[in-house]
Amino acid sequence: MEVKLKRVRAFILLAEDGVMALLLTAMILLAVTQILLRNFFDSGIIWADPTLRMLVLWVGLMGAIASTREDRHIRIDLLSRYLSGSRRSFIQAVTDLFSAIVCGLIAWHAARFVAFEYEDGSLLFGSFPAWAGESIIPIGFGIMTLRFLFNIPLRFLAGDRQ
Amino acid sequence: MLIALGLILVALFGAPLFAVIGASALIGFHQSEIDLAVVAIEFYRLAEMPVLLAIPLFTFAGYLLSESNAPHRLVRVTQALLGWMPGGLAFVALIACALFTAFTGASGVTIVALGALLYPALTEAGYRHNFSLGLVTTSGSLGLLFAPALPLILYAVVAQQLGIGGSITVDDMFLAGILPGLLMLLILVAWSLWSSRGVKLIPYSKAEALSAIREAAWEIPLPIIVLGGIYSGYFAISEAAAVTAFYVLVVEVFIHQEIPLRKLPQVMREAMLLVGGILVILGMSLASTNYMIDQEIPTQLFDWIRARVSDPLTFLMLLNLFLLVLGTMLDIFSALVLMVPLLLPVALQYGIDPVHLGIIFLANMQIGYFTPPVGMNLFIASYLFDKPVTQIYRATLPWFFLLFGAVLIITYWPSLSLALLDRS
Repeated sequence: MEVKLKRVRAFILLAEDGVMALLLTAMILLAVTQILLRNFFDSGIIWADPTLRMLVLWVGLMGAIASTREDRHIRIDLLSRYLSGSRRSFIQAVTDLFSAIVCGLIAWHAARFVAFEYEDGSLLFGSFPAWAGESIIPIGFGIMTLRFLFNIPLRFLAGDRQ
Repeated sequence: MLIALGLILVALFGAPLFAVIGASALIGFHQSEIDLAVVAIEFYRLAEMPVLLAIPLFTFAGYLLSESNAPHRLVRVTQALLGWMPGGLAFVALIACALFTAFTGASGVTIVALGALLYPALTEAGYRHNFSLGLVTTSGSLGLLFAPALPLILYAVVAQQLGIGGSITVDDMFLAGILPGLLMLLILVAWSLWSSRGVKLIPYSKAEALSAIREAAWEIPLPIIVLGGIYSGYFAISEAAAVTAFYVLVVEVFIHQEIPLRKLPQVMREAMLLVGGILVILGMSLASTNYMIDQEIPTQLFDWIRARVSDPLTFLMLLNLFLLVLGTMLDIFSALVLMVPLLLPVALQYGIDPVHLGIIFLANMQIGYFTPPVGMNLFIASYLFDKPVTQIYRATLPWFFLLFGAVLIITYWPSLSLALLDRS
């Protein structure tokens, strides 16, 4: 069971990194192509600019998911470094729970926003539906919610080991 | 009030800042009985600002550069060209660091990538240990005011979102940073000259200069293309970022082959961790700022401050002190996103130009990196050079006072920041 879980975990991490690398590469290539077209051929791809802006949102949220995984979000953390052992684990579990609740609420309301856009049928450019691009917001915050929740028991395990 | 205190407490106990800001927005909108979907809608505005494209692209290029041997080549070429002058190696360190920080966006990678090369070189050339430590630690955040540094871009983005004080473009910030940045550089160069009397000079070697230039031939055009492109107006900021990312990718991965292709996703992930961290904070703050303006919180803050501080001069002085303390606690990106929406409206009421405020803010945050006792670069230097942090404090202190002097000049001499702009 444990071996299987580890394999699933490794697969998810690999998939996340792969998607992130793919999105960033696409961003670089698309942006450069657009510049070349503009400067040398006096033309351009119509959907390039909105796609690039959408990629910023996607890359940003993928990065945020990875930050949650590695516990490397930007934080102040002046106080908890003075705590030790089990107290520290407890405080970390509380901040994880707090973050999970915030992310969960945002994911839920973002899902409502996306559902509204779906019914509305709004288009981003040409025929690309806006809801598909926006869907990364509930997905991203949803994954972060789960990550923060899974972190809570891990904090105590890590605390015991120290 | 109780809620605000609670949020500050969770932040101090290490909750991610984006969650704290998000919570404040959710609570605020909930109390005003506004549909909470507004938070998601505000967050989605991240996909509506073309200039944000520059953030992932420049960050990736910066990480790629610091993972390759480019820092080594940069030091070698500046050393070959400038090293023969009195205080030469100190110049090399200052200029190389400033250039590197401008391109990597002051994320703390300069001191790691260049410090490890420069510190042994400086002590070997006969510079005092503490002088070299101070120089390297201080230079870790030098160059923040030069294009295309990320903090300049982010300030313009945040200020523009507020929609007050006229237009504040990234180009304005890029122009405004030049003279204040040069002032800082000049002060440190003068101090290095003074302190390095008696250090043996290294003779200039034409052969070494040529060979160093040849080695760095692929990287030398980069600042020229990017800065030339931006300042001439040929490239938009996001285009300059795309060209930089693509160029650096081709040079370091395919021409120099210093980063194997299979290591590339790892470098990308490292860079995107920082980008994701910045963007979620920015996205959340778009929502919380919207709420704050709705509730006229900046106006209330101004009324409160005006009752106590009557003249702009006192306000600026307090601002300097406040930012100094803030800079030791918050990293530059969250400080920008959190404080600019509050400070900018207040500063405008005191008649301070928004662009000038941005430069004051960033110059202050720059020295926050090495303000004792908790500046981030002090600890990085202590770890990197294996010296007690108290020694780093002592070594950095003269540099700190010099740059604090520079910050005061920048603060009370607005035309230094505004001279190159049309608005002054």
